[in-house]
Amino acid sequence: MIRRHLLGLAAAAVAAPSLAFAQAPAAPPAWQQGRPAEMANSPLAPHAPRLTVTPPDRIPVSNIRVPDGFQVELWAHGLPGARVMVRGDNGTVFVGTRVIGRVYAVRDTGSERQVTTLLQGLPQPSGLAIRDGALYVSAIHRVLRVDNVEQNLANPQPVDMTAAFGLSDAAHHGWTHIQFGPDGRLYFSRGVPCNICETDGERYALIHSFNADGSDRRIEARGVRNSVGFDFHPRTGHLWFTNHGRDWAGNDNPSDTLHVNLRRGEHHGFPWCAGGFQDPAVPSQRLCSEFPPPAMVLGPHVAPIGTHFYRGSAFPEQYRNALFIANRGSWNRSRLAGFEVIVVREVEGGRLVQEPFMTGFRDDANQRFVGRPAGVLTMPDGSLLVSDEDNGAIYRVSYRR
Amino acid sequence: MKKLMLAVGVLLVAAAPAAAQDAARGERLVEERGCTACHGPRGVSPVPLMPSLAGQQPDFITLQMILFREGLRQVPAMMEPARGLTDAQIQDIAAYFAALPSAPKPDRGPRNEALAQRGAQLSAARNCNACHLPDYSGRANVPRVNHQREDFLAHTLAEYRDNLRVGADTQMNGLMHGLTNDDIRAIAHYLAHRE
Ligand code: HEC
Ligand code: HEC
Repeated sequence: MIRRHLLGLAAAAVAAPSLAFAQAPAAPPAWQQGRPAEMANSPLAPHAPRLTVTPPDRIPVSNIRVPDGFQVELWAHGLPGARVMVRGDNGTVFVGTRVIGRVYAVRDTGSERQVTTLLQGLPQPSGLAIRDGALYVSAIHRVLRVDNVEQNLANPQPVDMTAAFGLSDAAHHGWTHIQFGPDGRLYFSRGVPCNICETDGERYALIHSFNADGSDRRIEARGVRNSVGFDFHPRTGHLWFTNHGRDWAGNDNPSDTLHVNLRRGEHHGFPWCAGGFQDPAVPSQRLCSEFPPPAMVLGPHVAPIGTHFYRGSAFPEQYRNALFIANRGSWNRSRLAGFEVIVVREVEGGRLVQEPFMTGFRDDANQRFVGRPAGVLTMPDGSLLVSDEDNGAIYRVSYRR
Repeated sequence: MKKLMLAVGVLLVAAAPAAAQDAARGERLVEERGCTACHGPRGVSPVPLMPSLAGQQPDFITLQMILFREGLRQVPAMMEPARGLTDAQIQDIAAYFAALPSAPKPDRGPRNEALAQRGAQLSAARNCNACHLPDYSGRANVPRVNHQREDFLAHTLAEYRDNLRVGADTQMNGLMHGLTNDDIRAIAHYLAHRE
């Protein structure tokens, strides 16, 4: 299928006649808008995606470090590009991807995991949600529903819901996360089709929700540059989401952030403010003080993806309802940051603290990485699955006293 | 929608051969599948609009072959050649082409100094060499674009601009935004004549 990209508002400008345009400044591509002149020749660019199967003996399980008492094993492999994970009532784990365009199904036979490709050829199927036996898939603007999916793994018949949801087909930052809320509505994040720009705030830079059939759209959170992961607090039901700060504002600015959306429609600051950073590229009409501060600052360019409350009880008491965040790792930074799973916990007085939970993917000495954690999922036995997009693998983290 | 069964056991077998990429195995596959009919003997293409593959970055070839196989980069001529190839076979093919010496097509035609100058300026203004490297030989998923056929370069750059070519991300689509066909012809001429 041919995807039509719509690359930012700048891209909507009519192409100028040739000679006139030769003098006009080039419209920068979405991913490098807001790049200052002194960084014009920077060799930084997004890391190459790896779409090939990584043989199990080359998957870096032995590099991975977890806190005392925890252990890590390779749970499934052979799923290039594995990101988000959801689990059906009969135990099938579904796995979304981006570049390779596939949705996988993983069945646990007890002794091994069987991986099949459920759907393929989709434009960045990054969002998966499951309810009443139906799998919902979002792929940029496309929305598919596979009814009774676990009974039809060999022959899925997706219902095309694209028209009902009417989402933007702008590819840039169009890789959504989706999830059902405690209110039964289907929530979608929708990033901005640029790096930094003033954008149509009714369509982009937001999290919105719909009835499961695509009707009754409602904006839940505004001013969200690019959220690729969110979850609902198991006790309060509040929407917690992570957000990616923009690129080309320096190695240490702005920070990626974690937010809680306390009121429907709340504005979280984009494009003016990101994690306390007043963006100099935006004519400063609105100040950081006008927006609720983030619940937590995660660090510059760490790229939080999976954002998941632990729902099990097998981990020690301090991890009840703790929030696990998979930081997929930086590209727009001279030294690598992220490439680890962190845990955010509430301590005395309701204060939040963050701690590294799963590390070892980042090799600081050689400035390279051996994996990119992306998705997090609690299993019924209280263990935690973590997907590794770069190795097409899923790890299982369990606790033993 | 096609489906692909990948049992864990099958993957273990596929991963068994000791050497990762093998250019000799790749060469056999290239012969079997008749790639040279379009891409030229030893990867230097004599056919209009068919890209040369000699000396191309192996990661780029691998990635593009997977995009063809998965039906994401839709080029009718590449559907049959890419059908059913395993990742390992694709990596072998990539190793084969990557090891061949990169060279311009033999009948490249003379360099038009004014056109090349203009292409050089346009490329400098958009920092094409930041990713493709100063000699335009590429790195990893960023392809070599020097020595490439001029007609293919012009064709494919226009396809990026018009959002008809889907790559692994939207970088090239964005970079081409706003360029006219004349601009693109100049860039293609400049790149094709780089040594
Ligand atoms: C019938 C002609 C034909 C055959 C046979 C063929 N190709 Fe192609 N190939 C094309 C065309 C046409 C394109 C892309 C042109 C475009 O995008 O405009 C292409 C593109 C490619 C590309 C992407 C190159 C680039 O620079 O973007 C690779 C890699 C490739 N082919 C490899 C192969 C391999 C390997 C085989 C054999 C297994 C093969 N081709 C067989 C016609 C062919
Ligand atoms: C940010 C890095 C980056 C910059 C800057 C960049 N490119 Fe690219 N280029 C890429 C990547 C990555 C690809 C492969 C994309 C894909 O998957 O289709 C590519 C592909 C291409 C191709 C296709 C070659 C082939 O064989 O298929 C051409 C031609 C090209 N670039 C020319 C240019 C020109 C001209 C410029 C400057 C105007 C430029 N590039 C700037 C990263 C870059």
